Amino acid sequence: MTGKDSPTFGQAMMFRSKDFLKWSDEQMEYLLRKSPVGAGLDLVTKDFFNWATRNSLYFLHFGIMCCALEMAVASAPRFDQQRFGIIPRSSPRQCDILLVNGPVSKKLKPALRRLYDQMPEPKWVVAMGECAISGGPFYNSYSVVPGVDQFIPVDVYIPGCPARPEALIDGFLKLQQMIKENKKGLLTGR
Amino acid sequence: MSEGGKASSAGARDIESAPSRIDANPEDRVLRALAESFPKSVSDGEKVRPGLVRAHIDRSDLYPACRMLRDSLGFEHISMISAVEYDNRFEVVYHITSYSTRLVLELIVPTPKDDPTVDSVSAIWGGANWQEREAYDLMGIVFRNHPKLERILLPKDVLYHPLRKDFRG
Amino acid sequence: MAEMWINMGPQHPMTHGLWNLRVKVDGETIVDAVPEVGYLHRGIEKICEGKTYTQIIPITDRLCYGSSMTWSHLYCTTVEDLMGIEVPERAKYIRVVAIEMQRIASHLMWLAAYAGDLGMSVGFTYTMRDREVFVDLLQALTGARLTYNYPRIGGVAHDLPPNFVRDSIRATKYMEKRLKEYEDLFEGSKIFMMRNVGIGVLKRDDAINMGVTGPSLRASGVSYDLRKDRPYEAYGEMDFQVATHKDCDCYARYRVRMDEMWESCRIIRQALEKIPQGKWRIVAPRNAPAGTGFGRVEDPRGEGTMYVVGDGTDKPYRLKVRSPIFVTVSAAPKMLVGYKVADVVAIMGGLDMCIGENDR
Repeated sequence: MTGKDSPTFGQAMMFRSKDFLKWSDEQMEYLLRKSPVGAGLDLVTKDFFNWATRNSLYFLHFGIMCCALEMAVASAPRFDQQRFGIIPRSSPRQCDILLVNGPVSKKLKPALRRLYDQMPEPKWVVAMGECAISGGPFYNSYSVVPGVDQFIPVDVYIPGCPARPEALIDGFLKLQQMIKENKKGLLTGR
Repeated sequence: MSEGGKASSAGARDIESAPSRIDANPEDRVLRALAESFPKSVSDGEKVRPGLVRAHIDRSDLYPACRMLRDSLGFEHISMISAVEYDNRFEVVYHITSYSTRLVLELIVPTPKDDPTVDSVSAIWGGANWQEREAYDLMGIVFRNHPKLERILLPKDVLYHPLRKDFRG
Repeated sequence: MAEMWINMGPQHPMTHGLWNLRVKVDGETIVDAVPEVGYLHRGIEKICEGKTYTQIIPITDRLCYGSSMTWSHLYCTTVEDLMGIEVPERAKYIRVVAIEMQRIASHLMWLAAYAGDLGMSVGFTYTMRDREVFVDLLQALTGARLTYNYPRIGGVAHDLPPNFVRDSIRATKYMEKRLKEYEDLFEGSKIFMMRNVGIGVLKRDDAINMGVTGPSLRASGVSYDLRKDRPYEAYGEMDFQVATHKDCDCYARYRVRMDEMWESCRIIRQALEKIPQGKWRIVAPRNAPAGTGFGRVEDPRGEGTMYVVGDGTDKPYRLKVRSPIFVTVSAAPKMLVGYKVADVVAIMGGLDMCIGENDR
């Protein structure tokens, strides 16, 4: 099925276990990702998985500066972003969103890039506050990187100094809208 | 501080020429003790306002003077160590507080421009440790006998001292 | 047992702000600790040399964002000392009210983070809700929630809004009821008490020698508060007590901050009753004389001081900021050695670290 000289089913039954596993992997890979079966499954489940993804966005518990206090307050009873499914998580391996909420100094830049690389796909980056967008009031400092999009691709920019908690929640809702519009199937990626 | 905050000539007294008498207030006592123990190094002692006295001292006598301040004059707390760069010198400014008399002593130590080195006082006050490291990191003042004189705020491999006037960031 | 170094941070839920704590452990017991700071260094002192005196006020707000009113107030005080100007009486009282409200908001923020770290999420939600009361009042007064840009050189930016006195007095009475509830909530929890009593002891002589100031010093038995010992603004006319505690552990630091909130409520009420009429601002000259200015205030975290050197122009020649947390964190190894790794959260959280002022 995968090629002209790939083994047939009868020959595969005679394989040793390691080769058999490799063969069955290749079959499933083709079935799910390249054949019409995979595309059909995607068509049926795409909306559901997209709904689940955008309503349970977990961001990294990472506070840099003043906007971090507004990020904490957004989880507080008055503004309550948890009703949208947005919860902070401690480990970068468990997160969807990297929320950068302060100026990035040159000492922090490699650490932040490492955190971004550790996050699994699909991931988004939200730049909160003026310092993350362009350096903010410290744009001409010798030790601040003017904007986090110099080394990390950013999806949503939230202006403000500091950005109000309502602005942060609005930014998350815009991100949810963006995810809804770019629906991609999980299997085929289209 | 807004209580009489004028550093004016009305409050400044040259303590070396005052007649000797029992000192009524702690500011005079401190200036007198400094001037008597280190007559060659201490100069320009003045009482800026109630609660703040200022003196200049030579860098060679800084360590013994600080030891005397802590042990016999009751200055237990080092508030701030600043470094300022002027055209022809550096100045390291120590603000030392006494909890018992609530007095602040501003001790100014000038150093030449090409050799900004002073003795470290972190053996006397542990609170001076990180403040001296910061002065070294940002201004380049070298503190002799400091237990660990390394950069603290900037990355360790940086070569410049950003607060110097010839640094354009 | 083998010894090893563990890296806690810079991204760690315990670190409010960004700093790195390297602890050397022997099994579970801490043998040595080395804090590493500087991840938030923005070069504020260099930036300030290129801006006029009034342009620096919003920048000093962002030094410590948990209590930004005290830092811009400290800066204005220092420059007023340099210029030799005296602030009108009404402005002094308004400044006292704003600073004490900021002190309550800052301590509530600390309590929220502290309780959340020690596992009591209910502490987080309750204290954040009550902090909103004071943040709303400060928003009515200044126009912003977090970095206010309110004190000016020569006074404050604008006068009290209508109904502010009535609302503030109501808020302080509400706060006192809630403080009683918090004491029951936290001190009635056996786990909270076990994680705090006897942990992180810093002896009196060590605290004085290492330069620790603020609630951590008062928790070690030294009764020194700049509002009482060197009164500034209108604190000389206020009647309040200095909160001190004689056990030197984490529980003492928690207790000192709770007592300070009680005293702040009293001070706000007294200041609003005694406030005189008059101007709230005088116009300061644009150029500062050549000379130096020195200011100190009692920040919620300790003794903050600033030293400014003027050179006759409208920009400062040098501005030096002393942050209380910078010195308190350098005393952290003394507090950590001998305790377990799980106690690091309680000890470092009890110091109320705000890294903005640490790294400048």
